[in-house]
Amino acid sequence: MKTIIQYVRRKLSVRVSLWVVIFAAVIFVAALGFLFYQSREAIRQEAINHASQILDKTSLRVEGILNRVEVASDMTKWLVQRHPDKADSMFVYSQGMLLNNPDFYNCSIAFEPYHFKNKGRYFSAYTKYDGDSTRTIQGGNDNYQYFYMDWYLMPMLSERPCWTEPYMDYDTYSNTTEMVTSYCQTINDREGQKIGVINTSLSLNWLSQTISNVKPYPHSYSIMIGRGGIYIVHPDTSKITRQSIFTQTIEHPDTAMSALGHAMQRGEEGMKHMHIDGNDCYVFYKPLGKTGCSMAIVCPEKDIFGGFDRVRRAVIAIVCAGLLLMLYVFIRIITRELSPLHQLAKGAETIASGQFDARLPDFQRTDEIGQLTRSFAGMQQSLVKYIEELKNTTAQKASIDRDIRIASGIQMGMLPDKFPTRADRDDVQIYASLTPAKDVGGDLFDFYFRDEKLFFCIGDVSGKGVPASLFMAVTRAVFRTVSARESKPDEIVTAMNRTMVGMNKTHMFVTLFVGVLDLPTGHLHYCNAGHDAPLLIGEGVGELPCDNNIPVGFRSTWKYTLQEAQIFSGTTIFLFTDGLTEAMDIDKAQFQMQRVGDVATQALADGQHEPHELIGRMTESVRQFVGGAEQSDDLTMMAIQYIK
Amino acid sequence: MKTTIQETGGKVVAVLEGSLDTVAAAETEEALRPLNDVEGKDIIIDCTKLEYISSAGLRIFLVILQNAEEKGGHVYIRGINDTVREIFTITGFSNIFEFME
Repeated sequence: MKTIIQYVRRKLSVRVSLWVVIFAAVIFVAALGFLFYQSREAIRQEAINHASQILDKTSLRVEGILNRVEVASDMTKWLVQRHPDKADSMFVYSQGMLLNNPDFYNCSIAFEPYHFKNKGRYFSAYTKYDGDSTRTIQGGNDNYQYFYMDWYLMPMLSERPCWTEPYMDYDTYSNTTEMVTSYCQTINDREGQKIGVINTSLSLNWLSQTISNVKPYPHSYSIMIGRGGIYIVHPDTSKITRQSIFTQTIEHPDTAMSALGHAMQRGEEGMKHMHIDGNDCYVFYKPLGKTGCSMAIVCPEKDIFGGFDRVRRAVIAIVCAGLLLMLYVFIRIITRELSPLHQLAKGAETIASGQFDARLPDFQRTDEIGQLTRSFAGMQQSLVKYIEELKNTTAQKASIDRDIRIASGIQMGMLPDKFPTRADRDDVQIYASLTPAKDVGGDLFDFYFRDEKLFFCIGDVSGKGVPASLFMAVTRAVFRTVSARESKPDEIVTAMNRTMVGMNKTHMFVTLFVGVLDLPTGHLHYCNAGHDAPLLIGEGVGELPCDNNIPVGFRSTWKYTLQEAQIFSGTTIFLFTDGLTEAMDIDKAQFQMQRVGDVATQALADGQHEPHELIGRMTESVRQFVGGAEQSDDLTMMAIQYIK
Repeated sequence: MKTTIQETGGKVVAVLEGSLDTVAAAETEEALRPLNDVEGKDIIIDCTKLEYISSAGLRIFLVILQNAEEKGGHVYIRGINDTVREIFTITGFSNIFEFME
């Protein structure tokens, strides 16, 4: 199931087709449902009309037969009463009745015991068909004392003609039995005394066939019940006279069947929808005239709706097949229409994999897919162009990066990389470090010895990167050139300033501290051009007092001032750029002079204020303070310890 | 870093807000470029809300100053805080700029 859903999700054609077909199916179901309902109602109504008509016809026919019996009986009675004392005439009357009505079963004209003095106790003129001819005999004898029979007693006692309940008639002559129902009425003499009974019987078997022949539907059947509900006509002949319509309901209570029985007994006419012997049936019922009998036609529902159900099944099958065919055709059509998209997607994948010059399919279509293809082709061309440009740019950038790395190497190469220690000299030891913020920086430091003097400087060019590094290189070169002939720091700075103003069109400047330490005496001359004042770390930690000269590079007229100080043995001069005090952590808080002082004080207390140790400590403190923040400015430190 | 330039009473006032560090320097230099075209008017750089200035920031000030001086104008710096004033002092810039309270 899951895979089917995934398949449907992946296939646009299947999804769209499913929607269309589902929608069509809904419309079909609604339309056909309405049609089926209406048709079924019409068929039901038609069935009711049809069955009612047949029932009416049958009932008319049965009533006709019964009427005929009654009329024939009445006529015979009239004849008998005209000649009540001619016993032999009774045989003629009885035979005449049957000859005139061959469908009657028998006829008896029976008299009270000893009515005819010369005929003895029994006289009953009895006629019955025997094959095609009639047989007329005297029917009463000691074995068949007819005047005790129901058919004789009923009219005698009720004093009016009546139909008997079905009973078994025994024919002594042919020794056969037949289920019959009889119409009986009394014979009266001229004084009105009842002298006998005329009994005219109908074979129930014959009546049953007459009724059973009525079949509105192939599996429909007729039943007929007497006054007490006894079956007189039923397709199951074993039930006739032995069971009533209520027999079954005693074992299996069936209210519908009971209701039907009662309604029929009451002589009502109508139609009921019932469940009989496992089938849904419509039962149409109607009383049969004066007999007190009622007949019913049972029509199985599947007979009534058989044709309709077949048509319905066929229609549903056709619709289902049609919908499936529609689904298949739609999927095929949509798949075919969308197939260019597949090729386009493959083309796009090829392009995405890096083959930018892959050929896209050309469908020559003017619809949306065609537009998409053209847009895609346009995008591909742009992509190829941009990739080409990107390649060039990347190559250029790689070239620039390489140049910058080389420049960085050149720049670092300018700086002193041999730092004198106690092992090298007995008067001074030096250490310095420079960490540029970008590949090339604008900070510089330098030192060299001449004439028993240490010439040193530290500087910071405004800004950073390539421009700053170029200016830094110039500064360092000018420092070496100028200090080769000047020995006083103020003269050196002034000369440098004058030189550099002339070649500075970009308003760059450099803060500079230049010092000259007389090694034999420890006397320091210095000039500070806008740079941070160095720390002196010896007996304590303190700043070297500095005049506020302006940085070098933009005002040729400025007169830089000279300052001097005595450096005692063991004292370290710690020079740095603002990259130290302004080192920033992630929250942009600065390291600040206070912390620089604290680290220096601690190093002094620990006896670790020698150049290498001091710078190591300072570097570590800054590293911890900055944490993961990017280095924002060049960081340069130089420490010079006078040890003579 | 926020930079605004306005003209009031015959003077051009540039108001700087925030921290003029090395990263902000390029954008600020661009924002203040109109000051280079000011002719015959004094320029006031309002630093009341300037929290910090780096050497790259000082260079911008210097460019403005030198451009103005070439055209005979004056540049005044107004309302700097102690941090910025210290930087001006250390670098000697306090010697070449004129301050107004």
